[in-house]
Amino acid sequence: MSTIEQETETEETTDESAEPTVESPGERRRAEKQERAQAREDQRVDEEIDHSEETITLKVFRYDPEVEGKEEPRFDDFTVPFHKGMTVLDALIYSRDHYDSSLTFRHSCRQAVCGSDALFINGRQRLACKTQIADLDAGTIRIEPLPHQEVVKDLVVDMEHFYDQMEAVEPYFDADELPDDELEEQRQDRENREKIKMSTRCIWCGACMSSCNIAAGDNEYLGPAAINKAYRFAMDEREGEQRKQERLRIIEQEHGVWRCQTQFSCTEVCPKDIPLTEHIQELKREAVKNNLKFW
Amino acid sequence: MSQSYNRGTVEDFGRWRDFSAGMWAWIFHKFTGWVLVGYLFTHIAVLSTAIQGEALYNGTLQGLEALLVVRFLEVGLLAVAVFHILNGLRLLFVDLGIGLEAQDKSFYASMVLTGAIVVASIPTFLGGKLV
Amino acid sequence: MAEHYSSFDRNGSRWLLQRITAVFLIGVLAFHFMLLHFVNHAAEVTLAGTTARMSSIGYFTTMWLFLVTATFHGVNGVYNALINQGLTGTRKRAVKWVLVVAGVLLIAQGTRVAVAMTNLI
Repeated sequence: MSTIEQETETEETTDESAEPTVESPGERRRAEKQERAQAREDQRVDEEIDHSEETITLKVFRYDPEVEGKEEPRFDDFTVPFHKGMTVLDALIYSRDHYDSSLTFRHSCRQAVCGSDALFINGRQRLACKTQIADLDAGTIRIEPLPHQEVVKDLVVDMEHFYDQMEAVEPYFDADELPDDELEEQRQDRENREKIKMSTRCIWCGACMSSCNIAAGDNEYLGPAAINKAYRFAMDEREGEQRKQERLRIIEQEHGVWRCQTQFSCTEVCPKDIPLTEHIQELKREAVKNNLKFW
Repeated sequence: MSQSYNRGTVEDFGRWRDFSAGMWAWIFHKFTGWVLVGYLFTHIAVLSTAIQGEALYNGTLQGLEALLVVRFLEVGLLAVAVFHILNGLRLLFVDLGIGLEAQDKSFYASMVLTGAIVVASIPTFLGGKLV
Repeated sequence: MAEHYSSFDRNGSRWLLQRITAVFLIGVLAFHFMLLHFVNHAAEVTLAGTTARMSSIGYFTTMWLFLVTATFHGVNGVYNALINQGLTGTRKRAVKWVLVVAGVLLIAQGTRVAVAMTNLI
């Protein structure tokens, strides 16, 4: 069974061209040793696949503008043995470790906290580490980088614009008065905590922004995550009045909350289940109320 | 299957299978909105014949109504208007923050209701004699 | 980024007006359809009948408000749709004024027609 379908010619050719034409015995020994290791590894992969009852196929988006022959985006297939509890990230890691070490994707905590592995999996923005393969109906899993962001390499996208939008709402706490004693806590009542609880869960993964039609068409739109960030602070009772007014001014600009068309795409893809649309709608009403006061 | 570097936007119709209820509602609402604003301009233009006098006004309206295709277009207009009204109601509730969890169901409901109202109205629209 | 934003922005009022006109239009559009397709069949409309209806002050006012709110709602909706597509700068300003002129002309012409249809004036 030929399981390795991805193209590895590129690396091989570069390796060959780097090799000196005259081989020393040591080099030959090392090359042979490497060959044997490779053969063993291939055999091990074959055995693993034979032994596991189920395999799944990953169709992974590949693109690398810096390597010749990879500038044209394409999809590579990887066959991965399936085990119970396997996530899409596990399958990606398996593919990278066993088939193609050049396969590039971001991941860190593997437990849906760091927000670095949001990917476009089977036509939807999901966290690879939180997506159980068993939950995906299809036998083939199609993995692409997040839409609406520039692809840097393979599954890695440029998050700079997303971070800019997040910073635009000035996402930090700023109370009017600080307690006299530096060690004194700034308490929040339970009800208010409940109100902003969900909005504090954002992990900056960018899935919402990527799913948003409006953010796709209007690059200046703040986007769901940034507006949610503004909500988190504007609705916090401890926020200073002046800072809140400033924050409302930022989110009610032309490319702020009014651009939201309530398609609920962001709410549906958010891996932390933040009711983003609800928060944006509440800020719209807050902004209108705030303006009515001055009319 | 080859895909270009620019992988297209999510709302590309090639991905229509992945569209969610909210996206469909937005697309239909926008489409029906364009139709209605287009009709508004046409409607005023046709009614402007009233300025020219009774004969022209009556002649134009009855002439148009005598065409079977106009009757069908009117059914289409009804469908468009009813959907825009029902989904508009849904959007007003969404703006008020009411029933956000049921936003997909309310979209399906407005689709079904639109269909029912249109089907029930077809006899009235096509029934009148083609003068 | 924040410092680029001007504080003289009327988007909130446009958003609110779009909703307020929507509420009015839902009722009036449904009424209009009922009256002119189910109560009076469209094929049987004559200027005499139209004039009879339009000569009631209440009906005339409702229809004129229908014209104004529908024009605002429609033209503003088109403008929003174009901004959502990422329209900016000079083209946005041009589109804005084209839409404003179109809206004003439509209301002017609609008013002329309404006046011609009534014997109130």
